[in-house]
Order: sequence, then structure tokens, then C-alpha cells
Amino acid sequence: MTSYRIEIDRSICSGFGACEELAPHFFEVAPDGIAATRAAVTDDPGVLEAADACPMGAITVVEVIEEAA
Amino acid sequence: MKDPTFWFIARASGLTAYALLTTSVLAGLVVKSRPTRRLKQAATTDVHRFLAVLALGMVALHGVALVLDSTVHIPVLGLVVPGLVGYRPVATAVGVVAAELMLLVYVSFALRKRIGVKNWRRLHWVTYVVFAGATIHGLTSGTDAAQPWAVGLYGGVLGLVATATAWRALTPRPVPVPARGGSR
Repeated sequence: MTSYRIEIDRSICSGFGACEELAPHFFEVAPDGIAATRAAVTDDPGVLEAADACPMGAITVVEVIEEAA
Repeated sequence: MKDPTFWFIARASGLTAYALLTTSVLAGLVVKSRPTRRLKQAATTDVHRFLAVLALGMVALHGVALVLDSTVHIPVLGLVVPGLVGYRPVATAVGVVAAELMLLVYVSFALRKRIGVKNWRRLHWVTYVVFAGATIHGLTSGTDAAQPWAVGLYGGVLGLVATATAWRALTPRPVPVPARGGSR
């Protein structure tokens, strides 16, 4: 099973909100206007689309390869 | 003898607006296709927006100069209502509509929270209508359109935008960074 760890570069996030709209269960734009993640990792491939939609390129998706259970 | 200053400004600002619109479109297209890795998305996005607002400013100057100039009679209302200009009415109406759609796309950035980011991205497709309209407007109402340098400009611009569009369309979505070996 593949899961994803998300890294947000806070120095370039502009709080655009594309990630939050495309994957609202995982991303939120915090009150300080910078995107934050709601969990450490996720297995939802929808975060890939959200990361791709970031106009600032602030989101890096790291693929976490786990041992088969 | 009539003072040609505003007429020169009108022509020069029209062409400059078209060049700025083109560079903004090109910058927007390379945000994701990134011809070189040294191009940072955030910087390209900022440049894209900055060029767009410069282009809008140039369009405004273009309109104001045409109203102030007496070579062709353009009423103030003709700048916002398509079809009120007697000089080459269809060609100028296309220019007015293109300018208004361009403003709409630019303003939509501020409204993205209200209309939703997905709709905002869909609205960005209107830019191709703007670009086509600006090209048609320049070729059909521009008094310099038959000059060899102008033909070169329009031809070169169309080629660049078509190439950048194809490049963007063929750019695959980035794959996740593998966990082993570091994320950066």
C-alpha cells in the first residue's frame, strides 16, 4: 500500500487555497493564511492533484512505501 | 497641423499591451511545464500576474489615448460598450470584448475564494478567447498590421503561444518523490 507524506514550504505558500478545495479532508488554510496538513500521512491519491494544483509549487508529495501487510 | 502624440501613444500602447499579454500567457503556461528546473513556480506565478496587470494598464492607456486623439473619433462610452465605435466597428468591438474578458480573468483571482478555485481555473480558459480576440483586433484594426515587422510579431507570437500550449498540455503531472534518498 502506498501512502503519502506532505511537505509544505511555508516560505512560498501564498494561502491560495487550491489544496484545501481539492482535498479538504487533508489540507486547510490556517488562520495565518498558510496551508497546513490535518494529518502526518495519508493514503488518498487525491493529495497528488491538490499538490499539482498549487500555483506556487509549495507542496511536495513524498511517497512512503510500506511493507506489505 | 494636428499633434500626433496621442495617435503614436495609442498605437504603441496597443502593441505593447499585446506583447505584455503574450508574455503573461507564456509565463502562465510555463508555471507547470517548467522548461528549466531553475524556474521556480512561485516566481513564475508572480511574474505571470505582474505582466497581466501591466498589460491591463497598457490597454487602459491605449483606450485613453484613442479617446484623446482626433485621428479617429472614439467616444468614451465606446471603450466599454462594444459596437459604439464607428471606425472599423467589428474590429474595435472585438478589442473591447477582449479587454473586458481580460479584466474579468484578472479580477477573478481576487474572487477565487467566492467562486471556488476549480471555477477560477476553468475561467482561465477564457484567456485563449482574450488572446484570439486581441490578435484579431490587432490585425484588423491596427494601422501597422501590414508592416513587415508587425507580420513578424504576430506570426512569432502565435507560434510561441501554440508551442507553449502544446508543451503545457504534454507535461505530465509530477510524480511523488520517493521516500528513500531524501525528499529534496
